[in-house]
Amino acid sequence: MSTLDTKPARAEGRKDPWSQLLEKVGKHQDREAYHALFQHFGPQIKYYAMANGMANHAEELVQEVFVSIWRRSCLYDWKKAAASTWIFTIARNQRIDMLRKMQRTSAEMPVETEDLWQIPGEHENEPVTSLHRLMSERRVRDSLKHLPEEQITVIAKVYMESKSHQMVADELNIPLGTVKSRVRLALNKLKVILQDQNV
Amino acid sequence: MNVHHPDTLTLMEFSAGNLSEPHALCIRLHLDQCGDCRSRVDTLDSLGAVMMESQPQTEVSSGMFDSILSRIDSDADLSGQQVTTVAKGTARISPLEKLLGEDLNSLPWKRQMGDVSVLDITDRFPGQREQVVLQKLAAGGKAPSHTHRGEETTVVLQGAFADQKGVFNQWDFVVLNQEDDHKPVAVGCEDCITLSVLSAPVKLTGTFGRMLNPFIR
Repeated sequence: MSTLDTKPARAEGRKDPWSQLLEKVGKHQDREAYHALFQHFGPQIKYYAMANGMANHAEELVQEVFVSIWRRSCLYDWKKAAASTWIFTIARNQRIDMLRKMQRTSAEMPVETEDLWQIPGEHENEPVTSLHRLMSERRVRDSLKHLPEEQITVIAKVYMESKSHQMVADELNIPLGTVKSRVRLALNKLKVILQDQNV
Repeated sequence: MNVHHPDTLTLMEFSAGNLSEPHALCIRLHLDQCGDCRSRVDTLDSLGAVMMESQPQTEVSSGMFDSILSRIDSDADLSGQQVTTVAKGTARISPLEKLLGEDLNSLPWKRQMGDVSVLDITDRFPGQREQVVLQKLAAGGKAPSHTHRGEETTVVLQGAFADQKGVFNQWDFVVLNQEDDHKPVAVGCEDCITLSVLSAPVKLTGTFGRMLNPFIR
């Protein structure tokens, strides 16, 4: 299984292997490619579900995510996102959707999950943003290797366990301000924070 | 070009999927119009993907891939072409329009005081612990000076308002708290309409003993 170091890097202007596979699924309904994606991302998504306290629904989430990947693969555009980023957003949306459905007593959901969480994707005329999107995953992967463990721990709790900054502070028994400053330091190194951002 | 953006930490909580539904809606409405924040969320989503791949992994049961395939085969709707059409057809309707209909100005506004009207839409978000309110400040109108209790997240849906901190235009994003004493004025020739989410104080339960409104408190 891949780790930070062995995952194929996304070369600038080039498709990484996972994005190539996903494109094959989208264009040709290629089941071998689909299976390869399943073998790579299935166990990641299952862990994601478990870390989120959804142990009883972990396999259900993996299934929902992969059915959704199949359905949406024709919309996938490697220029807009690496396959792993695209799949992460589907996993996140499906997790939210499952939780919403479990918590609702009535079937009615006035606002759909995708309306809230999916970034609008039809801004074709954004060359800078496209390039930015293309490079961001590789840059994030490279920068993450150099972050101190305490910053990675905080970020992992936010992303993998869906904990608010306050919940992370309570769990680690550190002040909220410390959590926030660790996140800010990390995001600065990952160049997420823009210079004009008055945080 | 927007001037007032969500805090990057809030964008991160959005990217991680940790915000409440009304808060996510405020962010989503801003993102629809703000390329800078969209590209930051793209990077944050990449961070999510990299975190996911760097964690331990859990083996999936052996028959799962086959059951996924049989689900795909049994469902006629899962053909690629259809999904493309559906997704592209619905993408153009904004979540706001889905929620409120086409015309913000013809909603059943309740005149609250002077130039200020409100519409509480908390019931559109069942199960959420926050109060969600639309406000309208009539064009050229002023709201009385006031402060805020709790934290209030606001996104401007139409028109613009100005206060001591600056001018807030359409799709600008602002978070106000107890320290902000402001006196907003609607600028321009349109009524200023905002969507606000008030975080319920954790200790309180039941009804709030006041009318929610970031313009008047």
